[in-house]
Amino acid sequence: MTSLPLSQRHYAPRRRERSTTTVLPLSRRHYFRHAAVLVAAIILIVWTAFPFTWILITSLKNSADVISVPPTFIFKPTMDNYAALFFASHQGEYSTSRPDFPLFFVNSVIISTGAVALSVLASIPAAYALARFTFPLKNSLGFIFMSFRFVPFLAFVIPLYLLYQRVGLYNTHIGLILAYQLITLPFTIWMLRSFFMEVPLEIQEAAQIDGCSWLGILTRVILPLSMPGIAVTVILGFMFCWNAFNYPLMLAGRQTFPVTVGAIQFISYDQVLWGQMAAATIVSALPQLLLSLMVQKYIVRGLTMGAVR
Amino acid sequence: MQTKALRRRPRQGRFLPYLLLTPALVLLVGMVYPFALGLYYSLTDYWLQFPRRFRFIWLDNYIGLFNRPLFSRALEFTIGYTLVSVAIQVGLGLAVALFLHAHIPGRKVMRAMMLMPLMIPPVIAALMWKIMMDATGAGILNYALSFIGVAPVNWLGSPHGATISVLVIDTWGNLPFISLILLGGLQSLPNEPYEAARVDGAGAAAMLRYITLPLLLPFLILAATFRVMDSLRIFDVIYATTSGGPDDATTNLSIMSYEYAFHWYQMGTGVAEAIVLLAMVVASSFVLLRLWHRTAESVVQ
Repeated sequence: MTSLPLSQRHYAPRRRERSTTTVLPLSRRHYFRHAAVLVAAIILIVWTAFPFTWILITSLKNSADVISVPPTFIFKPTMDNYAALFFASHQGEYSTSRPDFPLFFVNSVIISTGAVALSVLASIPAAYALARFTFPLKNSLGFIFMSFRFVPFLAFVIPLYLLYQRVGLYNTHIGLILAYQLITLPFTIWMLRSFFMEVPLEIQEAAQIDGCSWLGILTRVILPLSMPGIAVTVILGFMFCWNAFNYPLMLAGRQTFPVTVGAIQFISYDQVLWGQMAAATIVSALPQLLLSLMVQKYIVRGLTMGAVR
Repeated sequence: MQTKALRRRPRQGRFLPYLLLTPALVLLVGMVYPFALGLYYSLTDYWLQFPRRFRFIWLDNYIGLFNRPLFSRALEFTIGYTLVSVAIQVGLGLAVALFLHAHIPGRKVMRAMMLMPLMIPPVIAALMWKIMMDATGAGILNYALSFIGVAPVNWLGSPHGATISVLVIDTWGNLPFISLILLGGLQSLPNEPYEAARVDGAGAAAMLRYITLPLLLPFLILAATFRVMDSLRIFDVIYATTSGGPDDATTNLSIMSYEYAFHWYQMGTGVAEAIVLLAMVVASSFVLLRLWHRTAESVVQ
């Protein structure tokens, strides 16, 4: 429709770019271009934000408003769904099918924190070894650690389920923390390795000349300098644990369900409580949305385990 | 070379790296052991309801899989879904990345906002869409579509609808990931080729075709690699929305393996399916990563 597609804009050097965008659209070509940008932006924003908005609205409706056809947009907002999730379990209007949702939330916190703590503690020396030493098997070991990120979870979870039943780890926090290592450990090792490798070698050499041992280099040079990296790793690792659904679905029971498995329980009743389910999804997603604000810059790096910076 | 200084120190010891790796290796053993156990189970007829009847049956589970009609359907769905979803997601991701790379007002805000779907658990995203796809008033999707003249879609109730629904939800959650990788790639591209092309009078389409896409190829392949591996294994979105139905239309290998192991308690068959899936993931990642290496090298040259 227009002879100058949107995608050309990024080719132009910045200086010229600014001038074209700030100048008011006088020609027809400019007009089309601006209209196209606007439409694309609206589509992108609606596509991204609408589900969140609608779920938030749904979570604020009472049980009649939720299912009314056509959907209501003007209604008296109520916190009943959230109240039902967190407080009363059997007081008429506050009744919920999942009185244990607060427990699920606590479970998520316990399991995610435990899993990340264990992974990071084990990964710091391992990442140090992979980043700063040469030894036979180095590459293959690093690769083996990474490969676990890509194994279908069922190959682990079926034998783990049988094993856990036998040794009494089924439906325990410890068991889940150990199982979550499959999610966090490959990630923390590779992330920390990539951050440790960024510590300039000159500083390390200077420390060595001053008589630092390998332990001193780790504790006095590498760790302090990569503190931001460690923080990012911890936060992203926590988020991945919070996301986890497959492992707890099979290895957790009623007392240890995290929020992801807890939220899905709203469906299995004859009457689906959309309002409460909406509230549950909002509550489950909130910690992550807040955490993600802190690590925005590093998310791609985290998801590709350090492959893309 | 970077460790020469370290190695010169005599008390360093050759075993120090292994010592440092010990805690991680212990955890690694904790992962390898169940996996090996699973491999072993896949060669037995382990059926949880009949624990006494535990025989070693070699490859019978694997051979048996190929005789089940559902398995070939699940295999077909797994491969077909992966190909279609990765193609669509990478295509759309490229479009979004190019759009957000252009100098448009408010792109910083849009980039930050675009991340949101990536930040929530996939299963929660699936539940959000499930609410929107509902037939009651909570299901806003059909209502919204009615304004642009689309007849009510039976989202999760019909075989085709369910497949499309899963694709939509999966795309919603993962598009930001692809866009971010490609955006990172676009930002790292050199400026010179574009200047040279402009001097030669190349149009925007030509520059996209002959400069941007070839230079971006390693990033496209990397994004596709991650998505292929995840799409082959996709479980949580399908489980939360359709559980493989209706009429097994959205049953992929993960769902089928789950059904065998946790509904019929045929552990051997369940693991065998997971291993078949693993073989597919390994094979495709091997091919794609080689491709990535080759393109990455040729681009650098």
